[in-house]
Amino acid sequence: MSTANAAAGQSADRGTAQPPTPVSFPPKEIKKQCDGIVTRYPTRMAACLPVLHVAQKHYGGWISPEVEAGVAEYLGVSDSHIRGLLTFYAMFNSKPSGRHEVWVCRTLTCWLRGAVQLRSTALEKAGVEACGVESPDGKFLVKNMECLGLCEEAPAVFIDGQPHVNVTPEKLSELLDACE
Amino acid sequence: MTAKKKAAAKKASTKKASAKKAAAPAKVVRAADGSYPETRILSANFGVKDSWTLPVAKKNGAYKSLEKAIKTMTPAEVIDEVKTSRVRGRGGAGFPTGVKWGFVPTDTDKAKYLVLNADESEPGTFKDRFLMELDPHLVLEGCLLCAYATGLDVIYIYVRGEYPLSIARLEGAIEEAREAGLLGKDILGKKGFNVEAHVHPGAGAYICGEETGMLESLEGKRGHPRIKPPFPAVEGAFGCPTVINNVETLAHVPSIIEHGGAWFGDLGIAPDPDNPRAMGSAGTKLMGLSGDIKTPGCWEFEFGITVRELIEQYGGGALDGRTIKAVIPGGLSMPVLTADELDVPMGFDALVKVGSGLGTATAIVMDDACDMVEACENIAHFFADESCGQCTPCREGCHWMEKIFTRIKAGDGTPADLDLLEHLFVNIEGRTICALADAAVWPLRSILRKFRHEFLAKMPGHADPHAADAKASDAAAPVGAK
Repeated sequence: MSTANAAAGQSADRGTAQPPTPVSFPPKEIKKQCDGIVTRYPTRMAACLPVLHVAQKHYGGWISPEVEAGVAEYLGVSDSHIRGLLTFYAMFNSKPSGRHEVWVCRTLTCWLRGAVQLRSTALEKAGVEACGVESPDGKFLVKNMECLGLCEEAPAVFIDGQPHVNVTPEKLSELLDACE
Repeated sequence: MTAKKKAAAKKASTKKASAKKAAAPAKVVRAADGSYPETRILSANFGVKDSWTLPVAKKNGAYKSLEKAIKTMTPAEVIDEVKTSRVRGRGGAGFPTGVKWGFVPTDTDKAKYLVLNADESEPGTFKDRFLMELDPHLVLEGCLLCAYATGLDVIYIYVRGEYPLSIARLEGAIEEAREAGLLGKDILGKKGFNVEAHVHPGAGAYICGEETGMLESLEGKRGHPRIKPPFPAVEGAFGCPTVINNVETLAHVPSIIEHGGAWFGDLGIAPDPDNPRAMGSAGTKLMGLSGDIKTPGCWEFEFGITVRELIEQYGGGALDGRTIKAVIPGGLSMPVLTADELDVPMGFDALVKVGSGLGTATAIVMDDACDMVEACENIAHFFADESCGQCTPCREGCHWMEKIFTRIKAGDGTPADLDLLEHLFVNIEGRTICALADAAVWPLRSILRKFRHEFLAKMPGHADPHAADAKASDAAAPVGAK
């Protein structure tokens, strides 16, 4: 897989000739939190994951190339290091992630208990063909996640970071209808 | 989460004899009717109102063992007690915990770290979540005992990002403990016993549960497992000596210190004196059930309950009108057992003996409605998705296996595909840096061998070239054996 292709696939802004202009990071709303995280570790690089969590939450659920560059500058690592993390870890989004992020567990226990129907329901509600694509109205991003660790109450779904268990297609429809 | 709380409360009321900090529970015996009782040591406080707060935890005896250790024992004595207990790691590998602690150098001037493995991303596994959500102070006390025994400075609790409540409860517990003088400088008045604790959130990667992948992730990198040696006890996080233990393992330590290692070692299954590799399964274990059964859940038993007893007495048996077909006894990464093989005790050595493994002791049950080819496709997809991509056999092999299962599912497979799979298994297993590749092969190979007829049924018009010797080879090569 060529880097150019991978980058072009990430977002419309990626893979262009011009490097992104880094945002000034951290913004004042999350400065104290981020500075606090950095003090927990002997290296600044170690703060990458917790800081990216805070940044993703602050910037509407995804990390743009500009935020990526800002975080990289703040933690003294390269932009590509941060990009590497965003593409490696399933919880980080490097594309717009809709107003509501829906995770449907797909691994064995949930699959046995009806996860396939839940995924169909979620995709239908979002009006998209496949997981990982923001819905055209910008409302939902449905993600196919591996085991969420709620197996005793399978099947499980997360909506905006909140777990829902023993979910039926009907219940999921209601939950998604309730999203603004 | 209300259903779970209700279940926990029900459990608490049915067995109030929570023995954790009072008299030591006696060795379990099956009742006259054959029922296998719970032994609640780790789970003694599950279902207690606000069990995760410091005042309630203290009322139930939290941090008494830490006080005992600090005031009456040397660090070496604590390690000896844990060695005597024969407690083995609860994360899947089953390494003796006391021995692991003994590897940490005492004569180094580097910082030392504990990385608590709370990444619990093994599919079907949720036992550590119960501990972190319902008794975070027990977990923290275990960490502090480890810190005292091995002389370490900082505790990092690596919790998977998908466990928001666990993260919140642990952060709350750390905050309470810090205010109460249980973390920070001169803990409980002990001069020079300085320990800090931090929660480090993961971000959704199975491989970060592998201990060296976890270290890389803690250091802010992609979770690529490291080649060993050097082992983490010598060179782990940030190049310093590091202990890595599972949540449940360390949650056992307070009761071991309270009642003594010999007490713990007497519980469960004794080692086999004639086989030095059969180190026994000492103590109790949180065991879980999920999948096609009536009442999935998590319970604590002394080692010894059989898989069938667990499913029938606690899991409520098969769903109405269905029969159980297969069980993976320990998370997803272990070889499968058929319905005829369930009378085996849930224990480290017993399950290895029948060609499977204890893993995380949280079984996934599949019934007759489950298509084993599709199950294999699902399992192979998981490992293909979660492979970190470092080693070619795993990165390419897992995707290749998934493609073959997809092809067979679609009716386009031939018996040659089954031979190709066997060929892939041999060239994936044991040929990579970490055990993820092995973990992918074990369930798939065992399902393919034990349910070969289901694969052949999707290949109409093709005769099995190995029909004659299938039986013989099954007997000769136990599934899961290297």
